[in-house]
This record gives sequence, C-alpha cells and structure tokens, in this order.
Amino acid sequence: MRIQESMSMYEKLNILTDAAKYDVACTSSGTARKGDGTGMGSCEQSGICHSFSADGRCISLLKILFTNECIYDCKYCINRRSNDVVRTSFTPDEVCTLTMEFYRRNYIEGLFLSSGILISPDYTMELIYASLYKLRKECNFQGYIHVKAIPGANQELIQQVGFLADRMSVNLELPTAESLRLLAPHKTRKNILTPMRLVQNRMTENKEELAVYRSAPRFVPAGQSTQMIIGATPETDYQIIQVAESLYQRFELKRVFYSAFVHVNEDKALPKRTDEGPPLLREHRLYQADWLLRYYHFQAAELLSEENPNFNVMLDPKCNWALKHLEQFPVEINRADYKLLLRVPGLGYKSAVRIVKARRLGVLDFSDLKKMGVVLKRAMYFITCSGKMMYPTKLEEDYITRNLLDVKEKLPEEIRNMGYRQLSLFDDVRFAGSFTGKAGGAV
Amino acid sequence: MKTMYVCNDTITGIFSAVYDAWKTKKSEDECGIAIQGMLERELFCEYCRTEESEKKAQAVENLIKKHLGRRVYWDLYHAALSEDREKGDAILGTMLAARRIPDSRRIMEHLSHPKVEKVFKLSRNVGGEAHSYKGFLRFRELVNGVLYSEITPRNQVLTCLAPHFADRLPLENWMIYDKTHRMFAVHEAGKKWILVLNEEPEQSFAAQISERELEYARLWKSFCRTIAIESRTNPRCQLGHLPLRYRGDMLEMSDVL
Repeated sequence: MRIQESMSMYEKLNILTDAAKYDVACTSSGTARKGDGTGMGSCEQSGICHSFSADGRCISLLKILFTNECIYDCKYCINRRSNDVVRTSFTPDEVCTLTMEFYRRNYIEGLFLSSGILISPDYTMELIYASLYKLRKECNFQGYIHVKAIPGANQELIQQVGFLADRMSVNLELPTAESLRLLAPHKTRKNILTPMRLVQNRMTENKEELAVYRSAPRFVPAGQSTQMIIGATPETDYQIIQVAESLYQRFELKRVFYSAFVHVNEDKALPKRTDEGPPLLREHRLYQADWLLRYYHFQAAELLSEENPNFNVMLDPKCNWALKHLEQFPVEINRADYKLLLRVPGLGYKSAVRIVKARRLGVLDFSDLKKMGVVLKRAMYFITCSGKMMYPTKLEEDYITRNLLDVKEKLPEEIRNMGYRQLSLFDDVRFAGSFTGKAGGAV
Repeated sequence: MKTMYVCNDTITGIFSAVYDAWKTKKSEDECGIAIQGMLERELFCEYCRTEESEKKAQAVENLIKKHLGRRVYWDLYHAALSEDREKGDAILGTMLAARRIPDSRRIMEHLSHPKVEKVFKLSRNVGGEAHSYKGFLRFRELVNGVLYSEITPRNQVLTCLAPHFADRLPLENWMIYDKTHRMFAVHEAGKKWILVLNEEPEQSFAAQISERELEYARLWKSFCRTIAIESRTNPRCQLGHLPLRYRGDMLEMSDVL
C-alpha cells in the first residue's frame, strides 16, 4: 500500500516510530560538547535519559525511521517488502522540525535516524545526509545524533554523514554469515563489514587530524556501535561472544548490542513461535559477558568453549567462570593486583578501584569493605582479608554453587517478571542437552 | 558548651555560618551549624544566630577552592543544596577534618570519617536528582513564546539545572519554577540566567500555552506510547528507572490529551 500527501504528521510519526522501535541502542553517551551560543543543543559525556517507556527501556533520542519503505526482504523485519503494512516517509524538513521542537521542550537528547532502503542504498543515504546537513548547518543543532550507515551506500557519502553525526552504527543483523544468507537474502556479511571498516579507518585518521588541528571537524566522536539479533538463528552463545570480541578488537567498536528476537513475521525460516516471549534471560547473560569483555579483561575463550558453548542460566558468567577456576582463589584483598580483583564474583570495577585506593591507607578487613559499599554476599566465598575468610567456608565447587544459588542473583525486572514460571535449567531449549552430566550438584 | 550557629537554608546562609564557626577556631565537638526552620534544640547547646552576608560566603568559597580544590568544593556545594537537616554540620565537620590530614585536597577519600561520609552521600544524592531532572524536566511553550517548566524536587537543584539549560538553549526565553522551594530560574535569550527567590507564578500565566504546543504535546505522547515493545512490557522496570515522584510534572505520564 502506498499512501502519500494526505497523511498527517501524527500518523507518520506513529508509523515510523513503530517501525523503529526494535532498534536497541538509545544511548546518548560518548560525546561532551558545549553549546556554541548560536543555536541549540549540547551533549553530556554520560548521556541523559529523558523518559522510560512501558517496557522499561530508556527514551533518550527521537528514534525514528526516515522511511519504512524497503527494497529488501529480511525475514525477521517488520518492514520487509513482502509485508503488507502502511508505508510512509518523512522529508528532511519534517525530521528537522520534529527534532528541534522536541529538543527545545527537553523531550529528547537528540536524534536517532535509521531507515528502510528506499529505491537504493545511495538514494536513502543521500536523504539521510540532507536531513542531518539541514539540522546541523541550518538549524545549528548541537545535540546528539546517532545515524545508521547503510551497507552498500557510496563511501564518500558515508564519510560526509560521519562528520555530521556523533555516533554511527551498521547493523550486523545476525551473528554469522550463514544466518545472514538464510534470513536476509539481500544482505551479505562483506557488504556490512565494509562500511564498518570505513568508519573505523576514518576515525583513526580523524584522531591524527585532531592532534594537529584542534579545531578540525570531528568524525563520529562518540564511536561506532552495532547490533545483532539473538535467538532467531541457531548460533551458540560462544559463537556470539566470539563475534562480539572480534568486533571490539578488530573494528574498535564502542558497543555491541544484543536484541532478543521478537516474532513479528510468520516465516518458515524463522524459529517456531512459542508463548514464552523473547529470550530475555539469554540476552541478559550476553550483556553480562559483554561487560566482562569490555571492562574486566576477560577473553571470550575463557568464558565458554566448544564443549560448553552456552551460558549457565542459573549463574552469571563471572560466577560460572570462578567456579571452574577455584585454583585461583581465594584472593587476598590486601595484596591481589587490580586485574585479579576484577575477576572476583560480586566485585565490580568501582569496588576494585576503591579497594586499591583504600588499602594504601591501611589494612582492610571485611567491615571496611562493607563501609566502602562492597557487596559481599557473593564475593565472600572467594576472598580473604589478611588471610582470613569472612566465615569458615569450603572452597568446593558444589558447596559454593549451592550457596550462590541460595543468594538469588538480582536479575533485572524484565527477566524476573517473566511471570508465570520460575527460572529453570530448561529455560533455553538447547541448553538442556549440554547440561546433562555437567556440574552435578548444582541444584 | 557547644555553640550552634543558626542560619538560613541558602548557600549564602550556610557558608556565612561556616565563616562564623571557622573564625572561633573551635574544634568539631564544640561547634555546629543548624538550619533555621529545621532546628531541633539540644541540651547543653548555645544557639547563636548567624548574620549572613555575601562577603562571608565569598570568603568561605575562596577558602574551600584554594585549600581543598574545586572537586571538594563541588561536593560541599551540592551537599549544601540538600534537603537534609544536618547538612550544615556535615559541611563544617568535613572542613575541620580536612585541616588535620596531611593532604587536605584528598579529604573526600576519608570516607571512614562520619561527617565526610555524610557530605559524600548528600552530594551524590543531590547530584543524582539534578541529573535526573536534566532529563525528566519538560518545557511547555506559552503564548508569548517563553518555555515554562515546573518541577517538584526534594533538594534545591535549580542552580545545578540552570547552567545546563542556559548552555543548551541560549537563544530561548525560559523559566523553571521549583514548586517545593518556591523559586525560579529565569533566562532571557542571549543573557545570563538569574535566580528569583520566594516568588510564585500567577495562575493565569502558566496556563496560557501557545497554539502549536498542544500539537507537539500530542506528538510526544504518542511517540512515547509507540516506542515501547509490547511483548516486553514491564511496568516495574519502568518504575525502577522513573520513580513516581518525577511523573507528576511529566507530560507523557499525565492523562490529559
């Protein structure tokens, strides 16, 4: 169905917001920029959340598609060309007006512009460029802009857009090239990685330019991110975090986002529809592992392996790792180096920094740790203070596992409230198989 | 006998009281600060009304910035904006404690000192609320083009918010009204912002919204509704991030329209 002209702004915004909502990232962090006094807008390093929607996700940016028309037919996507949905497009002017008017009422922190592919990648990218150009140069907008680079678009065009945006992302869509062939027949892995590499190289060059001329224009200052869909295809967690790891290492990405697969289409290539909802716990475990990769100096191969390729649903990845490496524990709080402290379950990097600072001023014991806000309910099995443990505990896998499960991990609400059923080992269908015979006394 | 210096609940008031207490060179146990209106009288205490002045407050500000550094000043300043009854005492106690350690600039690392810990907590609390309001505050456009906002904060966060919005919306006329403490931050396009104390807005003034305003309010409300993914609906998670106390002043959480 093709409808033009007559559609009101209200309807357009509804359609193009609805079409954009499955995009994960809504962060406005990574750039700090003062307003220059001639226009509107500024950016805070930490980002600012402006509201929270009914699903508990943060609303920071005006997250819209430029158009939901698309020449591609990706099986998982609501906007694929074979779907019969109402199609519409914004004009660059409309995008600017909406952004500016929302921004001055402090509704939003900036714009997140994504798009379906209208006519061709180049054509779409040009429209996106026109919108951003107008917003930055004519409206003098200095707020945050996150924009999608469209695979297959002209390189020069992508570069030009990068100078207007704060963050750019190219969607990886699915974890492996194989899955991509299966579910997104018009996209190829190579096509997706090319713009990603381009943005990376241009960012590196830009750093050098900025070192020479401080006022050189900045290219994607908040870095590059990507996202992939989890649970639509049969990859293991191990494969997924290996992909994430190589993206961090080889493409210097700022973030990789994981999005639990939500059924929007009926298609024989997609997994069967169940009434369990999106695999939120799995998504949560992947984010936990992602943090371990980025901030805790873990390697993907340490967390999982070919033989044991999925995360434990009952325990977070760090606990799971520690239980398999009890020979490295207990760790002495007053002597262990920072990197080892980071590996203790229950100790975050903030706590680890506080410990390292505080122990310079004196010997720490458990009550000092509590005062510093260190949570001991998990850490206590893995640490000593001046050679003593907090309580007499055994350093045995079964014993600690049992106790950790009693503690009850504080899961995010959306997972705890999956409602109607409790967490069980069989939450993940494929997981049940790999669990037999392993970790005997876990339950 | 302990001397309590009683002052008004403003930065100038509290810093003036610090000035008076500091000059007597008394130790921590011998002096304290109480806020007028939040006073709880104790036995064996002498109460002494502080005469506040800009000069005293400026002197204390300079003293802190010079000897404790800007970052400690940031913490003390934010603590002074708190709703807590004992904030004055905590600030004075921290400053006195800083005198006794070798490097005064690192006073905020001494969290084992109860007064320092208190300042740390208050500052974090005020900073947190101010940060939340940077996002949760909503402007509406009045007939005369002024952007107007009302908030109900626990702490006196206006002076934290105003510089942020002055930087962000330099060419707009805007005002933020703090309903709890009955004060305004007012910004005229292209000029510096000012703080107006003990004023209330006229009823009719805030109600006259511009023509376009309703349209954008409607667009925004529908955006917030549409962006949520139904199969992930989770009001408790939403509540954790966006507590009820903020929602009263938020357009998208109200039932009108």
